[in-house]
Amino acid sequence: MTEANGSTAKNPKVRVVIDGREIEATAGAPLLEAALDNGIEIPHYCYHPKLSIDGSCRMCQVQIQGQKKLAIACNTPCTEGLVVDTRSDEVADARRGVMELLLVNHPLDCPICDQAGECYLQDYSFEHGSHHARTTAPRRKGLKRVPIGPRVVFDQERCILCRRCVRFTNEISETNELRVFGIGDTSYIGTLEGRPLDNPYSVNVADVCPVGALLSSDFHHKRRVWFLEETESVCPGCSNGCNIKIGAFREEIQRLVPRRNDAVNETWMCDAGRLGYGFVGAADRIREARVCDDQGQQVVALDAAITAAAAALRRVREEHGAGAIGIVASGHLTNEEYFRLAGLARETLTTVSVDLAVPLGEGDDFLIRADKAANARGAREMGLVPGEAGRDLAGILNAVEAGEIRLLWIIGSKDFEAVVGTERALAIAGRLETLILQDVQPSGLSDKATIQLPGATWAEKAGTFTNYVGRVQRIRPAVHSPEGVLLDGEIFAALTGALSGRAAVPFVPSSVFDEIAAAVGAYAGLAHQSLGGAGTNPADVTEGVG
Amino acid sequence: MSVTASAPRFLLPPDSEIWTSLEVYREHGGYAAAETAIRSIAPAAIADEVKASGLRGRGGAGFATAMKWSFLPKDGSRPRYIACNADESEPGTFKDRQIMERNPHRLLEGLLIAGFASAIDAAYIYVRGEYRTAYDALRRAIADAHAAGLLGKNIFGSGFDFEIHVHRGAGAYICGEETGLMESLEGRKGQPRKRPPFPAISGLWKRPTIINNVETMSHVPGIIANGAAAFRAVGTEKSSGTTIFGISGNVQRPGAYELPLGTPLREIIFEHAGGLLPGRTIKAVIPGGVSMPVLTAEQAMAVTMDHDALQAVGSLLGTGAIIVLDDQQCLVRAAAVIAKFYRVESCGQCTQCREGTGWLHKLLLKVESGAGSGADLEAIEDVARFMEGHTICGLSDAAAWASGWFLRRFRGEFEAHLEGRGCPHDATSFEI
Amino acid sequence: MPLSHELENRIRAEFPKYPEKRAVLLTALHFVQEEQGGWVAPDCILAIAGLLEIDPIDVKEVVSFYHMFHDHAVGQSHLQVCTNLSCSMRGARGLVRGLEEILGVRPGEMTPGGEFSVEEVQCLGSCGSAPVVQVNNEPFLENVALADLKSLVAGLQTRRRAAVGE
Repeated sequence: MTEANGSTAKNPKVRVVIDGREIEATAGAPLLEAALDNGIEIPHYCYHPKLSIDGSCRMCQVQIQGQKKLAIACNTPCTEGLVVDTRSDEVADARRGVMELLLVNHPLDCPICDQAGECYLQDYSFEHGSHHARTTAPRRKGLKRVPIGPRVVFDQERCILCRRCVRFTNEISETNELRVFGIGDTSYIGTLEGRPLDNPYSVNVADVCPVGALLSSDFHHKRRVWFLEETESVCPGCSNGCNIKIGAFREEIQRLVPRRNDAVNETWMCDAGRLGYGFVGAADRIREARVCDDQGQQVVALDAAITAAAAALRRVREEHGAGAIGIVASGHLTNEEYFRLAGLARETLTTVSVDLAVPLGEGDDFLIRADKAANARGAREMGLVPGEAGRDLAGILNAVEAGEIRLLWIIGSKDFEAVVGTERALAIAGRLETLILQDVQPSGLSDKATIQLPGATWAEKAGTFTNYVGRVQRIRPAVHSPEGVLLDGEIFAALTGALSGRAAVPFVPSSVFDEIAAAVGAYAGLAHQSLGGAGTNPADVTEGVG
Repeated sequence: MSVTASAPRFLLPPDSEIWTSLEVYREHGGYAAAETAIRSIAPAAIADEVKASGLRGRGGAGFATAMKWSFLPKDGSRPRYIACNADESEPGTFKDRQIMERNPHRLLEGLLIAGFASAIDAAYIYVRGEYRTAYDALRRAIADAHAAGLLGKNIFGSGFDFEIHVHRGAGAYICGEETGLMESLEGRKGQPRKRPPFPAISGLWKRPTIINNVETMSHVPGIIANGAAAFRAVGTEKSSGTTIFGISGNVQRPGAYELPLGTPLREIIFEHAGGLLPGRTIKAVIPGGVSMPVLTAEQAMAVTMDHDALQAVGSLLGTGAIIVLDDQQCLVRAAAVIAKFYRVESCGQCTQCREGTGWLHKLLLKVESGAGSGADLEAIEDVARFMEGHTICGLSDAAAWASGWFLRRFRGEFEAHLEGRGCPHDATSFEI
Repeated sequence: MPLSHELENRIRAEFPKYPEKRAVLLTALHFVQEEQGGWVAPDCILAIAGLLEIDPIDVKEVVSFYHMFHDHAVGQSHLQVCTNLSCSMRGARGLVRGLEEILGVRPGEMTPGGEFSVEEVQCLGSCGSAPVVQVNNEPFLENVALADLKSLVAGLQTRRRAAVGE
C-alpha cells in the first residue's frame, strides 16, 4: 500500500502566494494540497490527498500568474514564487461551467440520497454553481441502488466519474474491482462479472465518493446525516487504533467513519472495524447485574452486585489468600480503567495472578492487526501483567484446574472464551467457587457466573487507548450507557472503596491520566488535554519529532 | 544537399497508380534517400535539413516537425520510439489513407530516415482499425522491406538497427490525440494523459517518444532527396511544401488532391473538385476537418489554404480536409451531426467534454426540430465557452469550436429554426 | 477452451514487437473478434487476460471503450454505415433506412438468424467516396447507392452460404 502522491517530505520549502496570501509549501507538492493544508478552500472532486492525481473533474482550476489558460491546482506543482488567483471572474465562470455540466445528467434525488448534507455536489453547487437549472432534456438513466459488493450500494445516476473509487481499489486496497467502462457520456463505474467489490476495506469507497453514488449498505437510508451527533474516537476493533468519528442519533450509533490521521490510518479504516459497532446497542447486551443464589441467577441492583463481588473477593482472600484470586481482562478497557484495575489488584487485593485474554484473528500489512483488541498494549503498560511470581493466563487456567485459584474475575468473558476455547472455559467455570463476570456481551460462560456485572462499551467512555506502536489516543463518549450501568472504571472505583473500607474515589479519567503520567515511565510528560485529536506517541515526544 | 537518385517530390503516385510493391517503389527512386542519409549524412544534418524545409506537422496542429524532434533528451538514453499517427479520424479527412494504401513505402522510408536522425529504436504506426486496406498494405510493405534488409539489423551496413511495427487501433477518434494514442498502443483505453510530462521526455512506455502524422513523415524522404530548398519552393513562407487536400460534400469531384499549401480554396473547389452542382452556390465551407471553425462563403472564396491565411480569417488549416456545404443544406443539421460525432467520441474523462458534448448535441437537435428558443442558443454559447480551454486535451475545444462557430457565423439560420418554425431547408437539405 | 492453440500462438507471436505484453491487447482482441464471430465473449476476456498476464477487468474495460470491439453478439455480416457529415450529405440516412427495410432491423439490432446486424458509425475516413459502408473489418464499400443495397445483401448471403457449404 503505497503513498500515492510520492514523498515530497524531504523537498525544500517554497513560498506560494494564493489570493494575496503567502504560504509556505513543499516544493513539488500539488498546489491544491498546499492550499487545503493552509485552510484555503479550492473546490475539487477527483483530487484526494491519499490517491494519485487524476486531473479529470476540472473543478480545481485556478489562474496562475503568467499562464494564459487556467490550470488545475491538483496537477500544478508548487514552485518558488508561484502566484495564484482562485477568485478571478474566469475561475468563477469555469467553476460554474463544471457545476452546470455535472448537474446536467444528475438525478437531483437529494431528498432520498444518503449523501445529502455532506455532498460536494450540493455544497459546491450552492457556492459555485448557477442557482437555476436550464436543461429540460431527459437525464441519463442508470442503475439505482444496486449492491456493487456485499457492503456497498451503487447509484450509477449520481456518479460524476471522478474515479476516486477506482483509484482506491487500484492503489490502496490493491484489489482492482472497479473500473470505468464505456466511453464518453455512456461511461459508468462497474465490476467484472462474478467479482463484486468485496475486500476488507471496501466501504472506504463510500467515504471517498464525493457524491451519493457509492454508499455504505449499513448506513443506507438509515438517518439524515445532519441529525447525527459526531464524536471523535478510535476504532476498538484491533490494536491499530484507527481514528474514527462515531455518528450517533438519539443514543444510538448509526455509523462509524474514518477520521484522518496520517500517523495511524491516513483516511481509511477496515470494514470489520467500521461495521463492528453493533454490540453497543445489541438486544442481548448485558444490561443487568445478577447474583447467583440457591435458586440460580437473580437480577439485582448493580450496587448490590458490586457489594456481593466485594464480599466474595474479601472472603476468598481471607480464607485462601490472595493467591486464590485470578483476574483476566480483555483488551477493550481504557488506560485509565486498567490503571485503576491494576491498582485494585496489586494494592487492595494483593493478587499477582493478573493477565489479559486477547483473541487473535486475521491481520494484514496495512491497517488490520491480528490482535483484536484496541488497548492490550495500554493494559500491559498500566500494569495488567502477572506480578512477580504471579501467574499468566496459562498459569491461571492451570491453577483453577488444580483447585488453587478459587475465584476468577473475568472482564470480557467473550474474549476469554475465544482465547481459551468454549470447552475448557466451561470446565474452568465448573471448577471455581466464584466466577465474577464483568461483561458487555454475553458468552458461553454467562450462565455460569456467580456474579455478573454489566460493563460499558468504548463508545460510552472518555479515556485513552494506546495502540500497538504505543500511540496514546483519546476516545470520547458518543452515547450514554444503558440505565443502571456504570463505566468499568466506576466499578473498579466502587470495588476499591468497598474492599478498602474507604469512601470510593470518583472515577475521573482525566485525573487518572495525570496519575498515569506521573506513575508510568513511558507516559511521563503527557497531558490528557494536549493529546488532541490525533493522539501522541510518547516515543516520538522523547525523540522530539512528535 | 540533395540525393542523386531522387525520391519524387509528391507523396502520391501520379494518376491512380499504386506503388505498394517494393520493386515499383524502388523503380521510382524509393529508399535512395534513406540509403544516402544513413550511409553518408550525419543525423544532426538530417534534422537540420528538415528544419530548413520548414516542414510543419500535417496531423492538424501544424507544429514544426524538426522542433518536435529537438525536444528529445540529449542524453542518448535508449530505447526511444517514434509513434506514427495513422489514426486518421477527423471527419472530412482521408489523406493519410491515400499514402498508406497507394504508397506505403514512402511512409516507411520517412520513418527510417527520421529514426536514424533521432537515434530511435523502433517506430509504431498506429493505424485506425477500420483502415483494413491500409493495414494490409503496410504489413506487406514492412515484410518486404525487412526481407530486403531495409529494416532490421545493421541497415545499409551502417550499424543502425531499426524496426517498424504496424499497430491497429479499434475505432476511437481520441486515439488520434498523441497521448491517447500512446495509452492505446500500450493496451489501455485511449484516454489522453495529463501534461507534463510531455511525450518527448516520457512517451511510449515512459520512454522518450516523437510522434508525427503519416503525411508529415512521408514528406521526409522528399526533403532529403531533393533538398529543403526544393521543398520550400512550393507553398508559402510559413506553410511550405505540398499537402494532400481532401475535399468532400457538395462538390462534383470529391477526392484527395496533393497541392501546394497556400493554394486558394476557391481553386480547390472549382478547379480540382469540379465545382458545385449546377445552380448551387456555396453557403459554408469547413476548411480543415470538422474541428476547425467553419467559414462563410465570402471568407472561403477569398482564403488560401495555409496556416497564416486561415488563422487570419478565424479558422485553422487542421488536416486540410475541406467540406463544402451548398445553399440547399441546413447548417443546424450539419452542426448537429458534428456535435454527435464529438459526443460519441469524447473519451469521457473531463467533465466539460463528457457532459458538454452530449448537451450540445441535444441542444442542436432541439433547435433543428424547431422546439428551440433564444435561451437554447444562449446555452449553446455558454456550454461552448465552458468546454473551451479547460480540459486535458483538445477534443473538447474542437467540439466547442464546431458548434460555437456554426452558431456565431450563421446565427440567422439558427434563429430561423426557433419557436416552432423548424428547418427552412427541410425540403432540400440532407437528412440526419 | 475459448481460444484455439493457433489463435493463442498468433497472439504470442506479437509479443516480441513490444516491451510489454499488454501492448498486444488490441491486436489480440481483433484476432479474437475475427475468428469468433465479431465479438468478444466473457470467457475470451479471461483467456486473453491470462495470455497477456493482466487483470481481466482491464480487458473488459478496453473492450467497452473501443467502438470496434463488441461485448455482445453481432451479425455474421455486421454492416456499418458511416453517418458523419460527408456521408450524411451524400445519403447515409437513406442507406440506413434502406437496410432497415431490407433486413427488418434497426441500427444496433441483429436479424433473427444472426446473419446481419446494422450499426451507424462515425467517420470512417473515406469522405471523398461517400457514402461508405464497411462490412465487418473488410475493405470499404465506397460510393454506395441506395440501389446497391439489395445486391450487397444478396451477395453477402451467397458468400455466407458458400462459406458454410450450403
